[in-house]
Amino acid sequence: MNEPLIVGVPSKGRLMENAHAFFARAGITLLQPGGGRDYRGTVPELPGVEIAYLSTADIVTNLAQGAIHLGVAGEDLVREMIPDADARVVLLDGLGFGNANVVVAVPQAWIDVRTMRDLDDVATAFHHKRGRRVRVATKYVNLTRGFFSRHGIADYRIVESLGATEGAPASGTAELIVDITTTGSTLAANGLKVVDDGVMLRSQANLVASLQAEWGTDARATARALLDRIAAERRAHTMREVRTRFPDADAEMVAEAKGRFGVIAPLGGPTSSGMLTLLCPPDAVHLLATFLREHGAEHVMVAAPEYVFARENPLFDKLAERLG
Amino acid sequence: MASDRTSSSARTNRADGLVDLYERAGYLRVEPAVLQPADDFLELAGEELRRSLFITSDARGRELCLRPDLTIPVCRGHLEQGAPGRPAAYCYLGPVFRDRGEGSAELLQAGIESLGRADREAADAECLALALESVRQYGAADPEIRMGDVGLFMALVAALDLPPAWQRRLIKDFNRAGTLEADLATLKLARGAGAEHAGVLAALAGSDPAAARALVADLLSIAGIKAVGGRTVAEIAERFLEQAELGAATRLPAETSAVLERYLAIVGDPDEASAALRTLASDAALDLSAPLDAFEQRSGFLAAGGVDVSGIRFATAFGRTLDYYSGMVFELHAKKKGRANGPLAAGGRYDRLLTLLGSANPVPAVGFAVWIERLEQAGGRP
Repeated sequence: MNEPLIVGVPSKGRLMENAHAFFARAGITLLQPGGGRDYRGTVPELPGVEIAYLSTADIVTNLAQGAIHLGVAGEDLVREMIPDADARVVLLDGLGFGNANVVVAVPQAWIDVRTMRDLDDVATAFHHKRGRRVRVATKYVNLTRGFFSRHGIADYRIVESLGATEGAPASGTAELIVDITTTGSTLAANGLKVVDDGVMLRSQANLVASLQAEWGTDARATARALLDRIAAERRAHTMREVRTRFPDADAEMVAEAKGRFGVIAPLGGPTSSGMLTLLCPPDAVHLLATFLREHGAEHVMVAAPEYVFARENPLFDKLAERLG
Repeated sequence: MASDRTSSSARTNRADGLVDLYERAGYLRVEPAVLQPADDFLELAGEELRRSLFITSDARGRELCLRPDLTIPVCRGHLEQGAPGRPAAYCYLGPVFRDRGEGSAELLQAGIESLGRADREAADAECLALALESVRQYGAADPEIRMGDVGLFMALVAALDLPPAWQRRLIKDFNRAGTLEADLATLKLARGAGAEHAGVLAALAGSDPAAARALVADLLSIAGIKAVGGRTVAEIAERFLEQAELGAATRLPAETSAVLERYLAIVGDPDEASAALRTLASDAALDLSAPLDAFEQRSGFLAAGGVDVSGIRFATAFGRTLDYYSGMVFELHAKKKGRANGPLAAGGRYDRLLTLLGSANPVPAVGFAVWIERLEQAGGRP
């Protein structure tokens, strides 16, 4: 293939490890031929893919500009760095790691502030009485502006902070902050609390597609194959394979199981000897096993499938729909 | 597309005619720097402006921006020369820079700022008349004049005798287009900010500020909170007291919101509007005579200055989004809508700005700016 599908992957740290593990689970091996110092990688299973190892910020920038086709990036950065993000990229799927919330946090001493409405009132009074606006330390300038505007808050100033934001109120460079938090313990250690309705974004790492990139036939075909593998792995996560065999297994019973437990019968109804394979949501497995035994099953075997491929390719469809 | 073919020097030459007009009227031309400290603009206009600013920083990390308008730089320049209260009249012509997402971000503006005149109504009228004259000079048809009065709304809110928290909120949201109506709806239904703090508020009812401060200090120490960031214990106590005073009446009284709604529905020419406003004031037993006298005086000056007052479309709900405006605000719009969106000219009274920029005493101020490219489009070739 002469037109590679370029996939941006974080070049270091936990995000990189998690991204590698995520692709590995989908049967996609990321190889760095030159070791950790090589910023280009390949995928032996999919020769049309070229991996670009980049910082997370660069992944987002490259997605916005269309220099890469796909990338792994936190939704927080996507929404912060790309104006009108939904017109320029597609968030294909949450990857289940890199979870963090972008929150508004104020000093714990502000015992009169629980809601954004309180904060609005305090900000206006502060401006009125002090003759200057409350300062919000954050690296999320655009997210903050949008969120504060939706809450009608106008009397504030943003102080850009690129690190240790939670220390800003204590050091006197800002009155409150907007920052990312996983557990809230760093906030508490700095005498801050999250405003009740001040969670701006529940973010996680996403597989993001650029709508700006050149999507030629080759790139689309490679993306279809890549996303098919990922979708098969994601689908497998939502299912358990349930197998049994007993003479009384019939189509009517399968229909009842479909209605009660949301199972599907990927191989069709029971065979003439009563052999039955079902795919079942994980949390209904025990109820289904009981149900099958009540109907005469001697043994019910449950296993986690590694992949479940289906005719549909929902991740690719999501992209194709936007590419037109 | 005439404006795209107009060379920049031809554009400037023609716009120089506006400067001549202003200079003949007694305005001194000033030429503030293109690169300005970003802080003034952000502090005065709020963070919403940031998205349209071109910001850079110098080696010391100071944020600078390409000026998005000239009012603030002209007023800054005035203050730097001392004696802020002395009357002064400035005019300007030059580019301003605003990122609007599309089209050129560099736009030519001309305008005036009239500072320090105590005869506010006459100054307002002259300002509007000169804006109209600017449009005429470009050969544009008589524009639609939209007018509002921020000061009148502030006077109404003051006369309504509302708790300070609501006064601040209403005035803030009046300046944010489209939010005031939503605001009135919430205030009518509000269960009140006090609900979450019922215990504290009950304990505070009838307290004096010292007792309230002591209670807040106790609460903080019980909770083991040592550092108080940004706001003092007194400020937190004061806000609790404010809310305790609202007590059960955390809802905007029906008659008050009815007055506000009726006020915001008033539109018409200035004479019709002032008649409706006087009726409203008398029905609601509010003393608005001083601001309404001034309003009518201004209409008189406008008529005397040759402005067709009956052609002005006044709306009480019309405001400008910058909260330093304090009185009359207006926009001139081409009646025949062209490619360009937005007003040909916009201006108003901003008596609070010079104080906000550091003047010890308030300085009356009024001015307007015209958008040269839009004027060219509305007026065609000279």
